[in-house]
Amino acid sequence: MTLHMPPILTYALRRLVQAIPVVILIMIGTFLLLKLAPGDTVDALVGDMGGADAAFIARLRAEYGLDQPIWVQLWRYMVKLASFDFGWSFVYEQPVATVLMDRVGTTLMLMAASLSIAFTAGIVLGAIAARRAYSATDNLISILGLVFYATPSFFLSLMLMLVFSVKLGWLPVGGIKTIAAFYTGWDHVWDVVRHLIMPTTALSLIYLAFYLRLMRASVMEVADLDYVRTARAKGAREGRLMTHHIMRNALLPVVTLLGLQFSTVLGGSIVVETIFTLPGLGQLAYQSVVQRDMNTLMGIIFLCAIIVVVVNFLTDLLYARLDSRIELA
Amino acid sequence: MTFTMKQAGTMKQAGLALAMTGALSSVAFAAHAEEEVQKGGTAVIHMISEQRILNPGLRASTGVYNITGKIMEPLIDKSYEGYEPVLATEWSGSDDGLTITLKLREGVRWHDGVDFTCDDVAFSAMELWKKLLNYSSALQANLESVDCPDPHTAVFNYSKPMPLELFVAAMPDLGHPVPKHLFEGTDILKNEYNTAPVGTGPFKFVEYERGQYVMAEKNEDYWREGYPYLDRIVWRFIKDKSAAAAALEAGEVQESGFIGVSMADVERFSQDDRFEVGTMGYENNVAHSTVEFNHRNPILADRKVRQAMYHGLDIDYAIKTIMHGYAKPGRGPIPSAGGINYTDDVPIYDYDPELAKQMLDEAGYPVLEDGYRFHLRHRPAPWGEYTQLWAEYYAQAMKEIGIDVEILTNDAPGFLNGVYRDHDFDTANGWHQFRSDPAVSTMVWLRSGQPEGTPWTNQFGWKDEEMDAMIDAAASELDVEKRAAMYHEIQAREMEELPVIFAIEHPFISVTSKKLHNHHNTPRWNSSSWYDLWLEQ
Amino acid sequence: MTLADTEIAPPEPPRYVMFWRRYKRNRAALLGLFLFALVVLMALTAGIIDPGDPLRRAGEPLTPPFMNWDTPLGTDQLGRDVLSGVFYGARISLLIGVVATLVAIVIGVVIGALAGYFGGWVDDVLMRITEAFQTIPNFVLLLTLVAIMGSKIEWITIAIGIVSWTAPARMVRAEFMSLRHREFVDAARNLGVSNTSIIFREILPNAMPPIVVYASVIMALSILMESALAFLALGDPNYASWGNMIGQGRAVLRSAPYCAVIPGIAIILTVLSFSLLGEGLNDALNPRQKK
Repeated sequence: MTLHMPPILTYALRRLVQAIPVVILIMIGTFLLLKLAPGDTVDALVGDMGGADAAFIARLRAEYGLDQPIWVQLWRYMVKLASFDFGWSFVYEQPVATVLMDRVGTTLMLMAASLSIAFTAGIVLGAIAARRAYSATDNLISILGLVFYATPSFFLSLMLMLVFSVKLGWLPVGGIKTIAAFYTGWDHVWDVVRHLIMPTTALSLIYLAFYLRLMRASVMEVADLDYVRTARAKGAREGRLMTHHIMRNALLPVVTLLGLQFSTVLGGSIVVETIFTLPGLGQLAYQSVVQRDMNTLMGIIFLCAIIVVVVNFLTDLLYARLDSRIELA
Repeated sequence: MTFTMKQAGTMKQAGLALAMTGALSSVAFAAHAEEEVQKGGTAVIHMISEQRILNPGLRASTGVYNITGKIMEPLIDKSYEGYEPVLATEWSGSDDGLTITLKLREGVRWHDGVDFTCDDVAFSAMELWKKLLNYSSALQANLESVDCPDPHTAVFNYSKPMPLELFVAAMPDLGHPVPKHLFEGTDILKNEYNTAPVGTGPFKFVEYERGQYVMAEKNEDYWREGYPYLDRIVWRFIKDKSAAAAALEAGEVQESGFIGVSMADVERFSQDDRFEVGTMGYENNVAHSTVEFNHRNPILADRKVRQAMYHGLDIDYAIKTIMHGYAKPGRGPIPSAGGINYTDDVPIYDYDPELAKQMLDEAGYPVLEDGYRFHLRHRPAPWGEYTQLWAEYYAQAMKEIGIDVEILTNDAPGFLNGVYRDHDFDTANGWHQFRSDPAVSTMVWLRSGQPEGTPWTNQFGWKDEEMDAMIDAAASELDVEKRAAMYHEIQAREMEELPVIFAIEHPFISVTSKKLHNHHNTPRWNSSSWYDLWLEQ
Repeated sequence: MTLADTEIAPPEPPRYVMFWRRYKRNRAALLGLFLFALVVLMALTAGIIDPGDPLRRAGEPLTPPFMNWDTPLGTDQLGRDVLSGVFYGARISLLIGVVATLVAIVIGVVIGALAGYFGGWVDDVLMRITEAFQTIPNFVLLLTLVAIMGSKIEWITIAIGIVSWTAPARMVRAEFMSLRHREFVDAARNLGVSNTSIIFREILPNAMPPIVVYASVIMALSILMESALAFLALGDPNYASWGNMIGQGRAVLRSAPYCAVIPGIAIILTVLSFSLLGEGLNDALNPRQKK
């Protein structure tokens, strides 16, 4: 709209450009790493099908181009990727783009729900804990948050499943929808929501502690700053002080964490997706590694890289809004 | 205290006896058959691993049959009475063993309405079974051509004698025709119908949601009049065994086959009256838990060492604790389910750790300063749960006779590569799966000269010329009795030489909701067409 | 401690006293310290509690707890003693926690220090690499590393370190950037002190407090990552580790829940103790936070 770009936008765009070599580095690194692992996708496929004879195995390998030198395979892949062609998944016998598109929705729903719950609960509880620092309330909130964080995610997930699906029968055991129920409209939406309740709860309980701890520390630090003291000295009420003076600044580091967490949560969701049989990207990534499904893994990592770059870009903008005095390097 | 434990033990045994008694289960099945059949409904079936290729003409694996067996049918199936005509109605072989003639069923249509004829069989045999289907390509290596004198007669011509018995025994698994009109002239491996199968079976493919489920619906035009009973079948992929057990209990899934829940849960379900638990329907799908030796290691090349190690394994204890009783001790490469080809007249190795120690001393491996006779690197197959426990039990048991075993864990490609291509192991454990005839996938475990990198073949560096000759002779013997006698000798020699320990024979186990009826009524039920399966609403 | 030396404040009590006073103000942190001491004690006394191999068959499989005093917490599917597994598992967990954390901190400090101290293209290159590592989901990277080298405990530990260094690197870099132009650094530079010396002797000690606090987070995450690997059957079965115990106990979760629940509680308490310890250290080392 305007030719005079605000400095924050210049900064954010510069970071966007800097991301290009990072993405290339990631792609090459991932490719070489997975190639270092013993065995290839043909081994995995033959293992899955319960064995095969030597000619069959050799033919499959030639078919998939796995008999070529590594550099040739890498070059071919990167050339294709340059035109956003993710290649073919030999494990799924589908284009990788299709495989990814099938999964991306589930993962985004799961992550958006888990992170927003963890984030919201984290900042509220964190602020409460900070205002009553070292009190019994603070200790209770902190320890409870940390206990969930300390619980291995599969343990927490299995416990939720035993209680809410097996014992109480309130929620479905797994999957993303009731198969062969053919729900439409709002029934379908409600069905999906019901399937997402337990995995979302498990993930958000685990990540709650991150936001809670950071928010607590951040609020305590900001509350000690001069301008807050001044405001307090002037007789500002505690509630108003919190919402108008402290929150705004205390949120900065917490928002940054939100941006950085995407990849972590994707990795962390592998176990939860496996238990609740959610067809998401985390489980797909795990399967791609153990099946040496190179193209699919590369596609996921590429997608992650793009999402991280975009999220960072948005975080930069959000950051600028939250703190207009931000100094740009 | 002791009382409670004892009681628990007896209960366990009682439960097992109940579950292992085939007779009792058949009575139950008979009772069901007399009940009024209810039509309609959706059966939901648990699958532990996702099968992406849904074409049994391209991938021979029980996981593929479990789904596609309802959509695509084989020429011949197996029932408890014998071989059952499906798409082929009659079969005969010439005296010289060089031709096999099949009569094909008339009036059968593919799901897209095209007639099923001999052209489909000829195309499938020459283009898929001979060239592309794992295991089958070795079996059909000598297949020269398939003639179609009329649309419903197929003549298989071989360059070397093909025993009719072997051909027929292989057909239920390795004899699924594909529709020629959808495959001819395409890149068969990338054909879209590999993941959206078109067959002649009682159910028609509807959709395949990757990572979630496959759905099939009733084929109104099925050649068996009045069948199938069900409206729909859904196969749900649940990888985690605990989650699968929860899905069964929550009633979201009605059947879980191929030991889809943990062995402890199998036992728990056997005491739950909402479920039937049993090994019926797997008579054709039996596996061995193995211990495989790398004979390139000079210590293990000594037969006495291998025999001593067998004496150090308490197989009965392993069956009781790891398999919860659902197994028997192995008696060589052919399982007791192998019918006429099986014998139990073989040398066996009772659990006797003292004898084991003595034999190891005699073999020249006394206990050294570090407390061990020697150290072994062991690769366990990452098939989880009881295979993992068996590996850990093996390590535990070997330590007791003074052999240190270090377990090297890898994922599946890493394991297969480490054992069967790089031969970077001392011992390994995994499964040997028996496929109804020893010639299909069992003899490759013993025959030398297997190409490197072929999983579940003799990659053990073991070469025994006498054994090689015995295997080759049995493969082309046409007389059923003589052939069986030859396999008995092979078993005895294997148990004597111990290139591999086929330690535990275990059938697979299903947990089935009592709402399902007419289930597990054929020896390869999970792979069969389920045309008579019905669901209590 | 150059900075401390220049700011002489005689009436202040010794540093460790101050440290302890600040630390103990947080009662949760005291609980953390207590739990941590308990885990260390378990690791130290494992050999006394059970001098044998924790993986051996110690009794009838699946004996429930409190049924037989030879195996007070019961036995698992292979008759292995759960109590002895929990004690030996404390060793493995601490080992994984400490070594993985050291690996992560060393890589993080070197990369962060170089980037923050030198700035310019060195910073650019190192930060791009850091971003690359941060973009790949760390658990996926861990799975790939384990796929490459197999599940040996040594390698699992190092691999956990390799996937955990990015956060400390960023923290060290930030500290270095803010410290590198302080007077004491300039003074040292003018005196002709070498870069290595300035980095490790002058700046690093001042940049350490937040790193020490973050170390507790890595320790906690390391143990959780090992248990997640074990859940996916990629643990090292040659050692009694809590992750392996729960991973296998899950198969009998319904019929013999103690097999998974006992080591599960051990993990929760240990990870909790690291986290609470971290909170306490944060309060004690971060002098800006006063009450």
